[in-house]
Amino acid sequence: MNEIILTNNSKVNDKYKSKFEIEFIEKSGYLNILFEARNMIYQGYRLLTHPMSSSLKPNQTKFRSIILQKNQNNLDTESILMIERAIESAEKFLKFKKTPDWDEKILDDFRTVDMSIIEGVLNRISFFIN
Amino acid sequence: MDTTNLQQKDIKRGETKMKKIKVVHYINNFFAGVGGEEMAHIEPEIKPGVIGPGISLQNYLGDEYEVVATAICGDSYFGENLSDAKSKIIDMIKIYEPDLFIAGPAFNAGRYGVACGAIAKAVQDELGIPSITGMYIENPGVDMYRKDIYIVETAISAADMRNALPKISNLAKKLANNEEILSPIEDGYIERGIRVNYFHEKRGSDRAVDMLLKKMAGDEYITEYPMPVFDRVKPSMAIKDITKSKIAVVTSGGIVPQGNPDKIESSSATKYGVYSIKDMSTMKPEDFMTIHGGYDRAFVLKNPNLVVPLDVLRDMEKNGEIGELANYFISTTGTGTSTGNAKKFGEDLSKMLIEDKVDAVILTST
Amino acid sequence: MKLELGKIYIKDIRFGDNTEIKNGTLIINKKELEEFAISDERIKSVTIELARPGESIRIAPVKDVIEPRVKVSGPGCIFPGVMGKVKGVGSGRTHALVGAAVVTVGKIVGFQEGIIDMSGETAKYTPFSETNNICVVMEPVEGLETHDYEQAGRLLGLKVANFIGEVARNIEPDEIVIYDTKPLLEQIKEFPHLPKVGYIHMLQSQGLLHDTYYYGVDAKQILPTLMYPTEIMDGAIISGNCVAPCDKVTTFHHLNNPVIEDLYKRHGKDLNFVTVILTNENVFLMDKERSSDMVAKIVEFLGLDGVIITEEGYGNPDTDLMMNCKKVSDVGTKVVLITDEFPGRDGKSQSLADAVPEADALVSCGQGNIIVNFPKMDKIIGTLEFVETMIGGYEGCLKEDGSIDAELQIIIASTIANGYNKLAAKGY
Repeated sequence: MNEIILTNNSKVNDKYKSKFEIEFIEKSGYLNILFEARNMIYQGYRLLTHPMSSSLKPNQTKFRSIILQKNQNNLDTESILMIERAIESAEKFLKFKKTPDWDEKILDDFRTVDMSIIEGVLNRISFFIN
Repeated sequence: MDTTNLQQKDIKRGETKMKKIKVVHYINNFFAGVGGEEMAHIEPEIKPGVIGPGISLQNYLGDEYEVVATAICGDSYFGENLSDAKSKIIDMIKIYEPDLFIAGPAFNAGRYGVACGAIAKAVQDELGIPSITGMYIENPGVDMYRKDIYIVETAISAADMRNALPKISNLAKKLANNEEILSPIEDGYIERGIRVNYFHEKRGSDRAVDMLLKKMAGDEYITEYPMPVFDRVKPSMAIKDITKSKIAVVTSGGIVPQGNPDKIESSSATKYGVYSIKDMSTMKPEDFMTIHGGYDRAFVLKNPNLVVPLDVLRDMEKNGEIGELANYFISTTGTGTSTGNAKKFGEDLSKMLIEDKVDAVILTST
Repeated sequence: MKLELGKIYIKDIRFGDNTEIKNGTLIINKKELEEFAISDERIKSVTIELARPGESIRIAPVKDVIEPRVKVSGPGCIFPGVMGKVKGVGSGRTHALVGAAVVTVGKIVGFQEGIIDMSGETAKYTPFSETNNICVVMEPVEGLETHDYEQAGRLLGLKVANFIGEVARNIEPDEIVIYDTKPLLEQIKEFPHLPKVGYIHMLQSQGLLHDTYYYGVDAKQILPTLMYPTEIMDGAIISGNCVAPCDKVTTFHHLNNPVIEDLYKRHGKDLNFVTVILTNENVFLMDKERSSDMVAKIVEFLGLDGVIITEEGYGNPDTDLMMNCKKVSDVGTKVVLITDEFPGRDGKSQSLADAVPEADALVSCGQGNIIVNFPKMDKIIGTLEFVETMIGGYEGCLKEDGSIDAELQIIIASTIANGYNKLAAKGY
């Protein structure tokens, strides 16, 4: 299995660290996770989930979980285009309004939603060989 | 005529005489009558009153407006000394306390258009004065500044001056009086790409059905949100055996022989040059320089191989890693150069390269 | 499949002794309805409040809006597979209380949806300033898990809507509209010379607070499928989406889908409205590939001449929108898209998160990033406690006097991307 979850969401890390490879960067903000995903893509990974999932805007939530996979054949241009657009979109929102300093209860809600979005995929992913 | 005292006296008498709206106009060396390309290096200066096209501009603006001063700068000077030129001109303009700033029109003159856009934006942002300019749609200044300032659309050459000036005047007056600016078509400016909400008389789904019927019938329809322009170039086939290929270097890094004999511009290039590297194994700083206006030139002036990697390529040629290096390199400046021009260069020089049996090109940019 | 939709126009609402309709006024027995509603043990309390067009009332945070309807004859029930048996719907006769709306209000998570203003400058941005609203303000029991509360809240709204819809069963409608779509080959034969048009309806399907249900099936789990347009009028599709107020497709909007309405208006005249194709907006990229390939396959298989595509949401769904657009265009069918825009506060950035050259026919539903001023309202139904954490809100946006400066995207259905509203955007 060569999938890896890139995340800054401790809920995702806690629940799935025994089942999946996780790159958990707790201190990272939303945009940094996107930059990290871009780095990984240029090192030969490809995206399995969309980096802009959820209607929560980049200047609202700080949690972002993305599933990537080690790519057999060099660079995946679709992933490059997708991550660049996600970064452009995130920067557009963050330009005018920074992500607020939410209290713990609200942060927890954001973690829950972010995890739910990625869970639907994680529960099925073990079926795929490639 | 010095009207200041006159107005003071009137005010003292209690008469209500409208104070004129003060305008500063910006033009380049050519329109100032100083000279053509050979005077494009002149430094910024400001003179009271109108000069050149400013005379007509004043007529179109009318009696309530007064062009109190005209700022002038050489296009090359502006292009090569962007922040310096801007701050000098801003300081000069400040003194006149204008209510309105008009630059150009630049028509299709690339460096002039970029200068007009840059200075109009700076005046607007730093002095808070409504600013406007005019240029032809393909002027590189359009893409660079359309979002920041109003650019009135003009025809391609200065022959359009008598159409351009009234359009610029009309929109300028609206800006000065804080009037509502209408759509690009109505007010004659180039679409800025700012999305503005409004209520249509029909709902969206209804408009979608209308649009679909037109599209299916092959009739003309107008999309409500144009997609960004996709300029895709199909890549050519990969080289089968590079050790047998003839390679040429093409650069947008602005490397030229000392003295820049072809006077390639430091930004918004309108030409490219073909320069010999016959029998050279390295780019010597005595032979070559860079005139690129978009990066810090210090390193490259010391070692031009940083942009045209002749030294490494000669080694590879000697070791048989590449078949052969062409005896020349081709150069232009990338910064500010319009995609239209870049495309033309590419089409031209590729013909030449093909005739010379070049198999592949290494493009170096900065 | 033929449906008779009997429209009963509701012009006013008030509380009274019996829940009934009298001369166009909907009367609600408050206590009876509250007691009925609270029968879910996950809900601690339910309060019913009324909001009429023109009143100085602000409703927040809004979860869903539902139009009360009742199945008078024909198979199935309203909200099949959720509120009752899963039998296929969309034929027979259904009554609708037009001008009335059940609005569920309550917090599920800290960053809640949406505001509805019943009067003032901002009322014009939401269709629900013009409906007589029965607001169901709910509170969960302590410590209720988020997924549970979302579900409880969702069902509560549908339940109340059905309870109220029931009063319309035996009333003679003010207007009856007949919608009729025949099986494919018959339908094509009926208007052989008219272009065959389909509607590709993309359903939000990403996870908690981002879901939609078709006959009770989570849209994340569906493969593209066909639907008779009238099924949606009986509540075959319900909303479980609760995070982005402005382009949230409420259950009300599913019931009153404007693309279906407007295609039917021209059906038999300019076009042959043949089918609805349902698809989803999953996060898993393989799902997106699969769904868009299948949508294009269905379009080609049915021989459609043109389609309209609508989406729900921003970002991830824009990719699905463009994939569908490209693949359907590639099989030779003409495509028109309907979407809303987010060009940033200054209106200058890219409005969509994705783009393809084939998307050359697009209808805009307005942009959600502009700041609007919400005047102070005399009464608040729900609470303003969460306004600053809603999308479009920000710290300090709620002023002491109760007025708010926030982005347009904080208003329920203000830029809904199915073309329901007249709001649009143009390039200046």
